[in-house]
Amino acid sequence: MKKFILTLLTLLFSMSVLAHGPTPQKVQESITVKIAPSKAWEIVKDFADFKKIMKIRSFDDEIMKIKYEMLKKDGPFSDYNAYIIVKKGSNDKESVIQWTARFYRTYKLNPPIPEGQDDATAVAAVKKIVGPGLKSLKKTLETK
Amino acid sequence: MNIHNKKFIRIVFFFLLFILISSCQNKEKINPKAYITNQGDNTVSIVDLKNLKVIKTLEVGIAPLGITLLNKKKLGFIGNVGTDDISVINTNTDQIIKTIKLNTAPLSLTSSPDESKVFVTDWFKNNILIISVEEMKVVNSIKVGVTPSGIAFNAKYNYLIVTNRDANTVEIYDNNNKLIKKLSTGEHPFGVYTKGKYAFTANVYDDTITIINLEKWSTQTIKVGAHPYNIMTHNNLGFVTNTVDDTLSIIDLKTNKELKQIRTGETPENLDLHKDLNLLVVTNWGSDSISIYNLNDLILIKQIKTGAQSRSFGDFILH
Repeated sequence: MKKFILTLLTLLFSMSVLAHGPTPQKVQESITVKIAPSKAWEIVKDFADFKKIMKIRSFDDEIMKIKYEMLKKDGPFSDYNAYIIVKKGSNDKESVIQWTARFYRTYKLNPPIPEGQDDATAVAAVKKIVGPGLKSLKKTLETK
Repeated sequence: MNIHNKKFIRIVFFFLLFILISSCQNKEKINPKAYITNQGDNTVSIVDLKNLKVIKTLEVGIAPLGITLLNKKKLGFIGNVGTDDISVINTNTDQIIKTIKLNTAPLSLTSSPDESKVFVTDWFKNNILIISVEEMKVVNSIKVGVTPSGIAFNAKYNYLIVTNRDANTVEIYDNNNKLIKKLSTGEHPFGVYTKGKYAFTANVYDDTITIINLEKWSTQTIKVGAHPYNIMTHNNLGFVTNTVDDTLSIIDLKTNKELKQIRTGETPENLDLHKDLNLLVVTNWGSDSISIYNLNDLILIKQIKTGAQSRSFGDFILH
């Protein structure tokens, strides 16, 4: 019983946290690839899958950074802006690809927030893009 | 010992006592500090601006965002949008001395020049809440337009200025909390700054800033970088954070033209400056840091790691 109340309280507490916006959400993940940063950067720039689904905002060769935007209808999130950076790995033949996304939930009005339009749903949806996206990118980079 | 000697000794004694006390005060003098709200980990990073390092990380409510500092009263007000409350900090000890409960999300904060009132935008219910600093509670509220976002107090005219993000307007209230003007801005105005006879809004969606003349009620719109968030001015220059470009637009306020852009950390959001130390400080939401520039030549002095998702929406430097 004690455990049940505790779970209920935790749930209620986390719900009340989620109930309030408007807080931009952040998903940031990295993956290490066995390829030199300069080579990785050249391939990232040409990553075909990437260009199909996103509107590229800018390329920065100096800091090896690509910025892009996503259209609103691509998932249960809005105002999606993200960037991918190629960084040096632990040695010359290794790079770290870091993907950072900033976005909001779709529902921006007063609570209560309809199911599927909250922060948690938005974060989960973006994680499904970033995680597999990085894995796919790693595959492309290491086979080329 | 005659009476004159006694008097003389007494004077010398008090003189020495005075020197002793004032030298002690000098030793305890607190350096200027920046208070950085980290929305991602529910803390405030307190940065010593002389030694350029984080000296304390203070736990506050959930998702801290807005801030205003009272320099004379040595108080800091932090708005927590996750717990719907305000953490009040004593800036001498850097400890929380009070939590003011609200029933709504405090988005941004500002204070009156006499430091008797703190104004808070109530994002969901379209109000400005007025907190009495003496009583440490909400004593009044003003009904305003939709999605009140940025807020600033103009000391020249005693105007309270608020942006309505979703209505593309800025509202100006007088000392009696009466709406005296409502003007159109660019799309999605968020941050607002005011000084002298001007007010400035940063308009996120159309990549512009709107300059408002508070005397003639005229406006002018200037193109800046992508998704500007906030603005501040110093002498004849304006500085605008471009969240998507990771830059600061430098605006010439004589010609109202963008001179150049300088690089910041990732997703720069808000900014404040310290005139005596010649510093301009920018919070970087994306890289969890602040960038500190020399105010004269705008060269980066240092980037300092803070907490997660640093924002500090408001005036965040204690003088």
